[in-house]
Amino acid sequence: MGVRLASEDGFKPPSTADFELPPVFADNPFTTKPVFLVFFSVILISVFFILASRKAAIVPSKLQFAGESVYGFVRNDLARDVIGHEFMRFVPYLFTLFTFILTNNLFGIIPFLQFPTMSRVSFPYVLAMFTFVIFHYVAIKHKGLIAYLKEIMFMPGVPKPVYILLTPIEVATYFLVRPLTLSLRLFANMFAGHLLLLVFILGGEHLLQGVIGLKLVSPFAFAFGIALTFFEFMVQCLQAYIFTLLTALYIAGALADEH
Amino acid sequence: MSRSKSNNDDINNSQNEENALWSIVGYLLSGLMIWGGIGWGLDRWLGTTYLVLVGMLLGAGSSIYLVWLRFGRD
Repeated sequence: MGVRLASEDGFKPPSTADFELPPVFADNPFTTKPVFLVFFSVILISVFFILASRKAAIVPSKLQFAGESVYGFVRNDLARDVIGHEFMRFVPYLFTLFTFILTNNLFGIIPFLQFPTMSRVSFPYVLAMFTFVIFHYVAIKHKGLIAYLKEIMFMPGVPKPVYILLTPIEVATYFLVRPLTLSLRLFANMFAGHLLLLVFILGGEHLLQGVIGLKLVSPFAFAFGIALTFFEFMVQCLQAYIFTLLTALYIAGALADEH
Repeated sequence: MSRSKSNNDDINNSQNEENALWSIVGYLLSGLMIWGGIGWGLDRWLGTTYLVLVGMLLGAGSSIYLVWLRFGRD
């Protein structure tokens, strides 16, 4: 079907090429849309939270209430409940992580921006690298390097030959699977979501240019596109939450003493 | 598990279950990946075709054992 359409009507189905945007200034490859979106998100987040916290009052304004809700959510529901009594040290990082990912994800459905930054895989990679360095650093600081490695590699109470089977799995989990799943989960969700929206909205637009029968079905494609936009909103919030939650869980694991 | 000296044990218990859930997925995945990968490499080296299956079964088995060791026994 897709192939037939492509050959007869010239409809190009969305592909990975839609994610490779050309640089804005031709001589500088670092001036692509995602890069500008990242800078824009930093400005946006800073301005929002500075305005929200500047005139802190006992009876909060709507803006202050919104800002404090987000902060309270990350501090209480993510940091305190997961990490335990040492949580305050990690609130700044978790809060930055959550707002940064959330804002950049939401860019995917905000009109005119309409590109989720995290659908370019380098951004999630870098964020996962931060988390990776932090939870290993915390663990080494808390337990000591030798004790930490011993805890990862050698489960207590197992016959010695079994370590040949288990140690590679443990090492791979801590040093490979954790950062990889963390970044790829975020990337894949944003990538697939954007592609899905492209298919329905560009497809609906293309149907509108066809014969009368096709024109009649095109509203369904648009309606689906709109429904998926709401669905994407949910996924975008959820992915920002999961990334932050897992970071908090890894830090909690780094601080926990083996029993 | 280990973070039990908090004042609200209920929250801690549900959090521990959530923690376990994520860790279990990670262990199963890396068990398959590592031992499947070793089997695949041995297949390439020795020219056989069945070692990747042996490796994946071994990996799945040992990661389930590992999950039991971490979360199942008390």
